[in-house]
Amino acid sequence: MTERLAPDLATVAAGFGGLLRAAGVPASTERCSRFAAVVALARPVTVTRLYWLARVTLLDRHDQIDVFDRVFASVFGGAEDVAADRGDTAAPKPPPQTRPGARTRASAQPQAGESDVPTPATTVGSPHERDESGRLLVTASVEERLRHKDFAHYTPEELASLRRLVEELRVVAPRRRARRPTAASSGRRLDLRRTLRRSHRTGGDPVRREYRRRRDRPRRIVLLADVSGSMESYSRVYLHLLQGAVRGTGAEAFVMATRLTRLSRALATGHPDVALGRAAEAAPDWSGGTRLGEALKTFLDDFGRRGMARGAVVVIVSDGWERADPSLLGEQMARLERLAHRVVWVNPRSAAESYEPLVGGMAAALPHVDVLVPGHSLHALDDVLAAVRDASRR
Amino acid sequence: MSASPTPPAHPDGRGLERLLPDIATLQDRLAESGYLTDEGLATALFCAVRLPQPILLEGEAGVGKTQAAKSLAQVLGTPLIRLQCYDGIEAAEAIYEWNYPRQLLAIRLAEAEGTHLREADLFGPDYLVERPLLQAVRHQGPRPAVLLIDEVDRADEEFEAFLFELLAEGTITIPEIGTVKAEVPPVAVLTSNRTRDLHDALKRRCLYHWIDYPDVARAAQIIRLHVPSAAEGLTTGVAAAVQRLRSLDLQKPPGVAEAIDWVGALRLLGVTRLDGDLVARTLGSALKYREDLDVALGRGVSWIGTGD
Repeated sequence: MTERLAPDLATVAAGFGGLLRAAGVPASTERCSRFAAVVALARPVTVTRLYWLARVTLLDRHDQIDVFDRVFASVFGGAEDVAADRGDTAAPKPPPQTRPGARTRASAQPQAGESDVPTPATTVGSPHERDESGRLLVTASVEERLRHKDFAHYTPEELASLRRLVEELRVVAPRRRARRPTAASSGRRLDLRRTLRRSHRTGGDPVRREYRRRRDRPRRIVLLADVSGSMESYSRVYLHLLQGAVRGTGAEAFVMATRLTRLSRALATGHPDVALGRAAEAAPDWSGGTRLGEALKTFLDDFGRRGMARGAVVVIVSDGWERADPSLLGEQMARLERLAHRVVWVNPRSAAESYEPLVGGMAAALPHVDVLVPGHSLHALDDVLAAVRDASRR
Repeated sequence: MSASPTPPAHPDGRGLERLLPDIATLQDRLAESGYLTDEGLATALFCAVRLPQPILLEGEAGVGKTQAAKSLAQVLGTPLIRLQCYDGIEAAEAIYEWNYPRQLLAIRLAEAEGTHLREADLFGPDYLVERPLLQAVRHQGPRPAVLLIDEVDRADEEFEAFLFELLAEGTITIPEIGTVKAEVPPVAVLTSNRTRDLHDALKRRCLYHWIDYPDVARAAQIIRLHVPSAAEGLTTGVAAAVQRLRSLDLQKPPGVAEAIDWVGALRLLGVTRLDGDLVARTLGSALKYREDLDVALGRGVSWIGTGD
């Protein structure tokens, strides 16, 4: 019976997988064939059962469940409302769900492309932009000119050239002791396994002793960047700055607007501007001010408390302008302070000599911040990097 | 490799087929062993056993991820082999280790007696210390053992790579001995608290199930099972109160384990009904953060206790 069903089943499983992929859930061929296999095995008679078989085999993350429910309801719904208990009865069909994302990518790309073209090199007078030494020379002169300029006053061309400079900066995280030991030629803890293995070379006598030693690992860096209104140009710089670390050492990046969006994956695989563009699409009132406290709370509830912020260096880029009640921000900062190794707050407004943290949000947050740095220009970035690198607490 | 369209037939497929012919049977058996599941979890475990395929269970702390594996082992009537992961766990702690002191002794003994000792003697089963993963592969059957790899997100990312061979092929390679192939591959249950994203390569090899909090009726059933001496009104009252607490904005919403603790505490006080005053005195059984207590008490003890 299974034999006779197989071709149909395979088509259905593969087709359903295709719809999921179109909606953004990466259901691989391998998973689709698993789905077909369990359907043949369990022979579901209700839609609910089919729902669970599909969900168990096709997903691998909790946050895919909502999209999955919508796609499932649009395909298999009708006979029985499977999504009823998950509160997704008015499920739209998957295609409208996918299109905004697709459009974002399409619209964000040319924009990224514009700034990607090395036009700044030509504007400052180098006809040999492919020539390495020429490029370096130009870079140096650009750097000289831009060094103390506030990021907010950059022209688009300058921002583009800044990206190259920023990408060359290394974000170095302070280190923590790791549990996992590493091999060493001297030390206090004898590594019997390796000592004995080496003793084979000397006829079974452990002539050379091998040791193991606690190793250091870099702490995680978490960036929370405010992207509302005037903060956007600064945050863009910091996202660029962190991109290398996200790829290399597993740093994490989030943007805060009216809500929190995780950008780590998008940053690791794509262009920061494209990632930002997608986040902009997700948060409708992009420049309408920030609910810092709420965004921070979402971060702590969904990510920080689970371990992402534990022992990490958390960098917040924001002017501390809280649209809502600042006391929530204060509470959440206190939570963050207890979890994180260090909290570095980058506030470009604090560059002004007359600056005092009177804005409600900033005043509430300040007691829980380890370091407050302006970080508003290329020159000031050094202070930020130093603050991140610094291993001490306060 | 593991992308074969048809999963490998289980060596004891027919035995399992008889034991667990369908999802409803598994659900009943789990209930008999004292573990109440909803259809989703039963489906997930059924697929894991019958395909067979490793399964990754995620969910908030206290929803019974670990217990799922324990109960499954009980239903199958096979040993539960547990590997608790932690930061810094290594192959020597998870797979196997040579018994070095014993090897050294054997060498000295052979020297003293003047007997000849071959290397193969030293690297034989007598000197091998089996850790959980190897134990699971060595399990003789006839039914598969349940291998619980608990809180895999606590281990380093590098450690996940040690699991691939076992999860995909049911084999473990020991350089000195060779590849050990499981006669009866274990049912692998991985749990994660999502403190970090697991590697896609690990997830690809697993089924996935997110365990939700149970609804009030099921929560009451579960509590009843664990604290049978508690009054009926108390059990349902606490189940509902816990549900209400979860609707608040808490750092750590109470799970099933907390509900059971809470009923246990109230029963100890000889209580048969939950009311506001009792909530105020015993809320610490359910909420473990001072901020959460503030939020809950701010909402009102009588609301928590009785819903109004």
